[in-house]
Amino acid sequence: MTGPAEPEPFEDINQAVREDWVAGTTPYERVREVVSRTYAPTGADTLADHAHTSPKTARKHLNTLADDGFVTTETGANGATLYRRSAESLVVEQAADILSEVSTEKLRDRIAEMRDQIGEFQQEYGVESPEELAVDQTNALLDESTRTGEKPDDETIREWKTTRRNLAFANAALSIANAEKFVEAGSQTDNETVSSS
Amino acid sequence: MTGGQTESHSLRGPIDRPALLATRDLFNDNEPLATATLDDFLNPRALKVEYDDGLQSAERSRIDVQWTTRNDYKYHYTDSGGVNLRWGRHPHNGDYIQVPGPEHYHPPPDASSDPSTVEESCIKQQPETLVTRAVIKLWRAAYHADSLAPLNLGRNPP
Repeated sequence: MTGPAEPEPFEDINQAVREDWVAGTTPYERVREVVSRTYAPTGADTLADHAHTSPKTARKHLNTLADDGFVTTETGANGATLYRRSAESLVVEQAADILSEVSTEKLRDRIAEMRDQIGEFQQEYGVESPEELAVDQTNALLDESTRTGEKPDDETIREWKTTRRNLAFANAALSIANAEKFVEAGSQTDNETVSSS
Repeated sequence: MTGGQTESHSLRGPIDRPALLATRDLFNDNEPLATATLDDFLNPRALKVEYDDGLQSAERSRIDVQWTTRNDYKYHYTDSGGVNLRWGRHPHNGDYIQVPGPEHYHPPPDASSDPSTVEESCIKQQPETLVTRAVIKLWRAAYHADSLAPLNLGRNPP
């Protein structure tokens, strides 16, 4: 058989990939990577565990990332600091990724399409949000005899939530593209005003 | 509970575009036979990883990855020979009698969901970088062994 090398023998897949990861990254990079997709407030000990570093090291890097606006902090029930990815930082990151590949024209079309899709969900199930849908579904289960309407499955609820989340990223991208256009045009005008006076 | 099996076994939360992007880059950077792309760049529901070769006699294969904001996932392997299997993580209400935690493995040849045949997964760790690295390495171990057994064995003897 041709192709790339056979993997080295390993005793435990979890340990093997962990060692590869640790060998190829710094503790800071691992903490950043782990917290970059931590959306629920989480303690430094858990994040340290996932990043394979000490709680002390994790806390140091998490606080730096908080200062940079990459993560947000809050105080948990027992007084400990909890960390999660900053929504603002995530939205800006996704918007930049989108703008690097998609024209604003195409972006407008797709935003309209995603809005339509959400409108169709709202119309079909008679609720504004997938959260209401989940509540409605529970009520339907509790009272099966009286409910005969459309019963959406979990897949539909996930599809709706996924489209709503991706629409938010796309909207942010379009807003940033528009803002940049005007900010740049504005600064140019300012320069002209200065030079002509 | 009389809820249908598929409903109680759903992935929790929306699909996470940022996680699919990170997973895409890991496959593209670490597996020369694989080309990974989002199924829809703006509104992705899955990452499609196309392999230029398949396991055993298959000539081509693909792994479809779903990852949610709550770290539930599916890595589904399918190939030109009709073999299917899947590593997953989601609650199963104890229905998979051999599986103590949420991580499990739907074995080949048909990625069976029969509660008595679903196995405990050899992949135990959470961050998607480690789950993805494990899938890449297990696929490669199976590829060189010319056998599906290494996929959930969790070790690669010399």
